[in-house]
Amino acid sequence: MAEVRLTGLTKSYGSVHALRGVDLEVDDGEFFVLFGPSAAGKTTTLRVIAGLEKPDAGTLMVDGIDLAGTPVKRRDMAMVFQSFALYPHLTTFQNLAYPLREMKMRRAEIDSRVRETAELLRITHTLDRRPASLSGGEQQRLAIGRAIIRRPRLFLFDEPLTNLDAKLRHDMRAEFKRLHRELGTTTIYATPDQLEALSIGERIAVIQHGQITQVDTPDRLYAKPVDRHVASLIGDPPINLVKGTLKLGGNTGPAIELPFMELDGNPWRERLQALDAGTELLVGIRPHDLSLVEENGDGVPATIEITEPQGDITILDLSAAGVPLRMVVAEATGARYTAGDSVRIALAGADTRLFLSDSGTMVA
Amino acid sequence: MARRRREIGKAGWGRTAFSTVISFIYFFPVLWIILTAFKSHTDALSTPPKFIFTPTLDNFVSVFARAYERGGAAVDTHFDLFFFNSIFIAGASVGVALIIGTIAAYGFSRWPLRGNETYLFIILTTRMLPPIIVIIPIFIMFRLSGLSGSYIGIILLYAAFNLPFTIWMMKSFFDEIPREVEDAARMDGSSEMKIFFRICLPQVKAGIAATAVFGLILTWNEFLFALLLTGRDTRTVPVAMAQTIGGDIGVRWGLLAAIETLFLIPVVFVTFLLQNQLLRGVTFGTIRR
Repeated sequence: MAEVRLTGLTKSYGSVHALRGVDLEVDDGEFFVLFGPSAAGKTTTLRVIAGLEKPDAGTLMVDGIDLAGTPVKRRDMAMVFQSFALYPHLTTFQNLAYPLREMKMRRAEIDSRVRETAELLRITHTLDRRPASLSGGEQQRLAIGRAIIRRPRLFLFDEPLTNLDAKLRHDMRAEFKRLHRELGTTTIYATPDQLEALSIGERIAVIQHGQITQVDTPDRLYAKPVDRHVASLIGDPPINLVKGTLKLGGNTGPAIELPFMELDGNPWRERLQALDAGTELLVGIRPHDLSLVEENGDGVPATIEITEPQGDITILDLSAAGVPLRMVVAEATGARYTAGDSVRIALAGADTRLFLSDSGTMVA
Repeated sequence: MARRRREIGKAGWGRTAFSTVISFIYFFPVLWIILTAFKSHTDALSTPPKFIFTPTLDNFVSVFARAYERGGAAVDTHFDLFFFNSIFIAGASVGVALIIGTIAAYGFSRWPLRGNETYLFIILTTRMLPPIIVIIPIFIMFRLSGLSGSYIGIILLYAAFNLPFTIWMMKSFFDEIPREVEDAARMDGSSEMKIFFRICLPQVKAGIAATAVFGLILTWNEFLFALLLTGRDTRTVPVAMAQTIGGDIGVRWGLLAAIETLFLIPVVFVTFLLQNQLLRGVTFGTIRR
C-alpha cells in the first residue's frame, strides 16, 4: 500500500526534455492511469518513480518519505515493462522465483508462492519452459506474475498490453481490474490507448510533452476536457474541432459564426460575454452530437466523403462548407449512404465545448 | 513430362554436386596431409602421388619417439610436452583475454566513458600493425623483464593479442541484449554484480563461445612470436614442427603430416563441441526478435 506524491519532476536527456515539471498525487490503493501519446513522458515518469532514472529536479514522496536517496531495490515496487523484460535464460518457474530468491525467502515458501501465482495467472503449464517458447499472452502474464509475486507496495505498469493483439488486450484489461480488486495494491498504469485508459482507470492523468495537463475521472475527462488537446485525445472517433468567430451584441444574445452555420451561444452566455467580440474560438463537436435530418428539414447541407462501417455503427466523414466533420450513425442508417451523397445535418449541442483558438484553453 | 517438384529452398542435385566439388577442392590440402600421415617414407615421396597404399602408423609413433640415426636407439622427442604447451598456452591466454575482455566489454557497453568510441578505437589500433613490426620491441621487453621462455610471458602476450578482438566482439553482444531485462533485475532486488553474473553473462554465452573459438584458432596457429619468445620447455607445436624439418634423410613428410594431423584434432574437437553455440553466436542479432 502506498501513496505517491510527485512535485515538479523534471528530466532531460541532452536537449530532449522528457519531463517538464510533473506534479501528481496518487492515493493509497488507487488504480491510477497515466495516459498520453508516445514520447509524452509516461515511461520516464514510471522509471523515475522506480528509481531507474534520477530526476533533474523535483521530489518523489511515497508514504510521506522522500525517496531521493533510496536505491531501486529498497523501494519495494514492481514494474511490468512494455517489452516484458523476462529473463530469457530462465524458465517460467525461475523467472517467478527470481525476486523471491533475492528476498532470501525459504525454498519451500518460494515453491508454494510460485505455484500459487502461476495458478492465479493460468501459466502453470509453462513452468518448465523458457519465455521464448511462450505465447504473447503467456509472456505477458508471466511478466505480471513476476511483478505481483513479491507483493510490493506499488505496481508500475508500462504499456503492458501494447504488444498484444486486440482480443487478448480486451481479456487482459478485465484481468487487471480483477487483480487490482484482489490485491488492492496502489497501481500506476501507463498507456497510450484511450480505450484502455478510460475502461481501467479510477483516475486518469493526461500527460503531454512532459507535462500533466489534466487529472480526472474518466467521465469528467470526456465531459470537461481542460483544453483542445485533451478533448481530441479522449473520445472515439475524435472530437471535431471547427474554427469560429464570436459575435456579441446581437438581439438574440451571443453567437458563434461557423463556416457552415451560426451556433447559438446562449448556453454559454456568461462565459462568452467575458470575451471580446471577434475572438477566434474552436468549437468542439462530439461526433455523436451530429445527426442526419430528413429532406426538407432545416439542417446544414453536407457531402459524404467516406463511409467507415465499424460493424454496429458507421462513421461518416463529411464535408460541410469545406470543413471536415465526423459523425456516427447506426450501421443500418449508414448503409443507405455512399460517398458523394448530399445530406443535411443538425447539431445537438449537449456535449459541445468551446476552446480559445490561440491557447486551446477551454472556455465553456 | 512434368518436372518433379521440390520444396522451396531445398537444393537440387546439380547444386548439391557443385557444392560438393567446391568443398572438396577446399578440403583437399587437409585430406592430403591426413593421407600422407599414414604413408611410409617412400610412398610419401612417390611420383605420381599414390592414393592407394598400405597405411602405417609409424609416423605417429615417431612423432613422440624416434631414432635420429639409422640403427640408433629411439629417443623421446618431447612432442607430448609441446602438445601440452600448445593446449595450455592457448587455453590460458584465451581464458585470460575472455575474463578481462568480457568485463571490459560490459563496462564499455553499460557504463560508457566520456569519449567511449575513442577508447574502443585506440584498443583496436593495437591490432592494426603487422606483428612483425612490433616484434623487436617486444623481444627486448621480454629479455629485459625476464619473461623470455616462460609460460607466463607468452600467455600474457597472446592474451594481449586476443584482448582487442574479445572486447569488440563481446561489446557487440552486450549491446544486443535489452537493458530493460537488467532494469527488471534491479527492481527485483539484484545488486550490479549479480546482474552481471546472473542476468547478463548467461545471455551472452553464445558470444563467449564464438569469441573463444576464434581466439583459440588464432593462438593455436601462431608461429612467429612463439618461435622467438618460447624456450626449450615452453615451445609450442608449430615451432617444434618447424624444427623437425631436415635431418639425415631429407624432409620426413610423413612425420610432418602426422604432427599436423594430430595438431588439427583439438581445434576440430573444440569447434565441433561449440558449433551450435558458435552458429548462434555468429548470427546473433541478425534477426529481429
